Amino acid sequence: MAHLLQYVLNGLANGSMYALVALGIVVIYRGTNHLNFAQGEMALLATAGAWWINDKGVPLAAAILLAAAIAFIGGGVIEFGLIRPAGRKSPFAVVVVTIGLFQGLNSFTSLLFPKVGNGVKFGTLFPNKPADFFRLPGGAIWRYERIGVLVTVLVITGLLFALFQKTKVGLAMRMVANNPESAKLAGVPTNRILMMSWGLSAAIGAIGGALIGGINANINVSTMFGVFLLASAAATLGGLDSPLGAVVGGLSLGVIESLVSNYPKNWVASTYIGADTAIAVAFLIILVVLLVRPSGLFGSSRVERV
Amino acid sequence: MTTTMQSTSAGAPKAWPRPIPDSSPLHWVFRVIGVAVIAAIAIYIGLNATPSTLGNVTEACILAIAAVALNLLLGFNGQISIGHSTFVGLAAFAAGYTVNFWHWNAYWSLVLGIVLCFLLGFALGLPALRLKGPYLALVTLAVAFVWPTVAKKFLEQKVKKNSLKGTHLSPPTWTGLVSKGKDARLDKAIFLYWCGIILLLVAYVVVRNLRKSRIGRSLVAVRDNETAAAVMGVNLKFTKTITFGISAAIAGTAGWLSAARLDVFNDTSFTILNSIKYLLALFLGGAATLLGPIVGAFAYFFLDDYLRSHAPHWTWLPGQLSKGPIASFLLGAIVIAFVFIAPFGLVGFVKDQARRVFIVTPRPLRPALTPSALDDERPEESKGE
Amino acid sequence: MSVLLEVTDLVAGYGAVQVLRGLDLSVNEGEVSVILGANGAGKTTTMRAISGMIQRNGAVRFGGEDITHTSPNDIVKLGIAQVPQGRGTFTDLSVSDNMRAGAYVRKGGAAQADLDEWYEIFPRLQERRDQKAGSLSGGEQQMLAIARAMMSRPKLLLCDEPSLGLAPIITQELFAILGRLNAERGLSILVVEQNANLAVKIAHSVFVLETGSIVASGTAEDIAKDDSVRKAYLGY
Repeated sequence: MAHLLQYVLNGLANGSMYALVALGIVVIYRGTNHLNFAQGEMALLATAGAWWINDKGVPLAAAILLAAAIAFIGGGVIEFGLIRPAGRKSPFAVVVVTIGLFQGLNSFTSLLFPKVGNGVKFGTLFPNKPADFFRLPGGAIWRYERIGVLVTVLVITGLLFALFQKTKVGLAMRMVANNPESAKLAGVPTNRILMMSWGLSAAIGAIGGALIGGINANINVSTMFGVFLLASAAATLGGLDSPLGAVVGGLSLGVIESLVSNYPKNWVASTYIGADTAIAVAFLIILVVLLVRPSGLFGSSRVERV
Repeated sequence: MTTTMQSTSAGAPKAWPRPIPDSSPLHWVFRVIGVAVIAAIAIYIGLNATPSTLGNVTEACILAIAAVALNLLLGFNGQISIGHSTFVGLAAFAAGYTVNFWHWNAYWSLVLGIVLCFLLGFALGLPALRLKGPYLALVTLAVAFVWPTVAKKFLEQKVKKNSLKGTHLSPPTWTGLVSKGKDARLDKAIFLYWCGIILLLVAYVVVRNLRKSRIGRSLVAVRDNETAAAVMGVNLKFTKTITFGISAAIAGTAGWLSAARLDVFNDTSFTILNSIKYLLALFLGGAATLLGPIVGAFAYFFLDDYLRSHAPHWTWLPGQLSKGPIASFLLGAIVIAFVFIAPFGLVGFVKDQARRVFIVTPRPLRPALTPSALDDERPEESKGE
Repeated sequence: MSVLLEVTDLVAGYGAVQVLRGLDLSVNEGEVSVILGANGAGKTTTMRAISGMIQRNGAVRFGGEDITHTSPNDIVKLGIAQVPQGRGTFTDLSVSDNMRAGAYVRKGGAAQADLDEWYEIFPRLQERRDQKAGSLSGGEQQMLAIARAMMSRPKLLLCDEPSLGLAPIITQELFAILGRLNAERGLSILVVEQNANLAVKIAHSVFVLETGSIVASGTAEDIAKDDSVRKAYLGY
């Protein structure tokens, strides 16, 4: 039992980071129906920025917030300058632009911050000395840092829900996501709202990237690569247009990954299942879920216009 | 200024764009010239190039075959796949393993690779029946992500090494490319070069014939409107899964060629980054055109090659810029710029420009359908008077 | 009677396709105007052009102000609300969120008093205020669309084929409500309709639209007397 609890706790910490990046993906998908392949690399650039600001002597928390603010503006600029004009060409064009951004931003990060190209140490916001943990009944340990990450992600998720449900901007975002034409007729400046969606998504990504950097104690140009894949898988599992789905999907993906990579070795001395194949099993589970629910767990299946 | 003056003074109103009826003698002349020029270039390179240039062109052919495969699926059938690197990798591993461990003939390993890829592609096509757009994209993404871990396990368990040797395909004696010693490298390069050209040609012809057939029309119908296509009697399940299978099989030939070219390869040789390269090459050339993926692949490959070898030496770049991955950044920027300059790729761009000079007018479907067919025997002259 | 909306020489379309070719119409303050026309005459395009949803040339004046180059959201702020064809329901949002969505342009959002007022007029909506709007019936969605549009407290309401896909009895109810809104609150309304009988009953003036321009116009009585129009659009 202690093992089970331990694996779940570890999984929740990783899963919460997938959830945060997945939220970024969902915020954009809801607004524009586009999968942003550059989500991870946008977060990488912002995290590298946070490292740089921190390196100049600004406290880490402030550096991360500042980087998130800059990312907010950057996300808006990308939407305004690239995505929207590309959208006028064709939906395909947007896909190409985000894939181009994926490649461009990754190398841009190492051009702008050459040190990040080779990997740099990244600080953490939470106490992470060897003795910083709770011992839960049964013997499982819960490190403060993991608790901190989980709580941060849950708080951000809560704030995001409050934004969507309680504020006018959030209402406008839901309107644009659901029916852009009607939103326009109701007087919503849809373009500005889409810009804000991209900005919001980039800012969320920046915070997610910083948390990941903190847990890994390091960032480099390939940090976001795997995280983006897992986060997009999480978003798909939950349903690409559902923020709740992103969180549930992220957390469950983290837990599945942790359980699969640790458990079977206790049952069977399998040479084929282990830490590195856990992802494969996780993806298989997602595939099965998608076959049963093609729009994910919480996604709304839209009727296609013919 | 001068050009406009000349064109008005030439006094040929409405002569341009000039209509060329499809499959008319003039149209055939253009086609024959086009094919002849390409064939001449291919032969010239085959006879004169150095081993490293031949290797580069072969590498570009591999990229082109993969892009052609992806074009069939994405361009003509509208199903996105970010998993094509998996098919390429699967066929490469199949070839490398059977040749080195089971001592198969390399050509049989091509057959095996094609069959395996077709089956895997077909299987991947099954979820595609229920999943759409980004959900499908993510499933294929997952496959591409899982492949390296599977490949690594395979290397650990079966090969007991961290890499697999290439097939070291050597030219058969009838080609005459059997020099020993110094020239052996050149001979091998020439042989692989022709393998690449021929496989690319085969892939092109397969896709072209598919596209122009009844199946091709149903592919496009499914892409444009699935429901409408189904209502018109297109078998959705068959069309989508078979297209996935054929596309995967074509990608498999690219993998086999890789295995023949590379000395060693491992689990990191065929990753999502390769899939992204196929996508970018396809878009650069123009998706949903027959020549687009080939043009795009060659353009992408040589642009990439040029930037990688030259950009680090651009001393006029400010500060540290030339030391970083400037080539990769520029490539991304160029691809994005292309979306705005030529949204339908290089081929689309050239077609648009050519349309100002010549317009190929389609053949009438059947003479019986046009009642005035008899009067249309010499339409241009009579209208001109 | 002052003119609230005045459209002169309106030209609009989609890309290379020109739909409206110099259209003139006007809506007086406190009156109901009806545009009659067959499929493809350009009725919906007219509505979209007035709301600024598509590129347009010519002159559109609202309350004396030129709004030809005004953006859709500013046009809504000035007081034109549109009930789009097909109702434009925010299907994933709850009924009450749909109502709030209608009040988007108002500073501070929806006042509870407004919500209560419209729930009183449409009690069905109150019963279902926490349901997803997509689960409402067609008639209920049409009521919701009108209530939503009215939440912005418009001076002019544009209704694009409100009867589309509704049972005759619901359509009657609907036009009764539009008539009441006009009579009791002095709301100006511009309705586009194919089934003209009900619409003409509440109308003060009528415009007949054919292939992108107005071919006949006049008071409701005049139009009802015109034989050709009557035969073509009123069916008797």
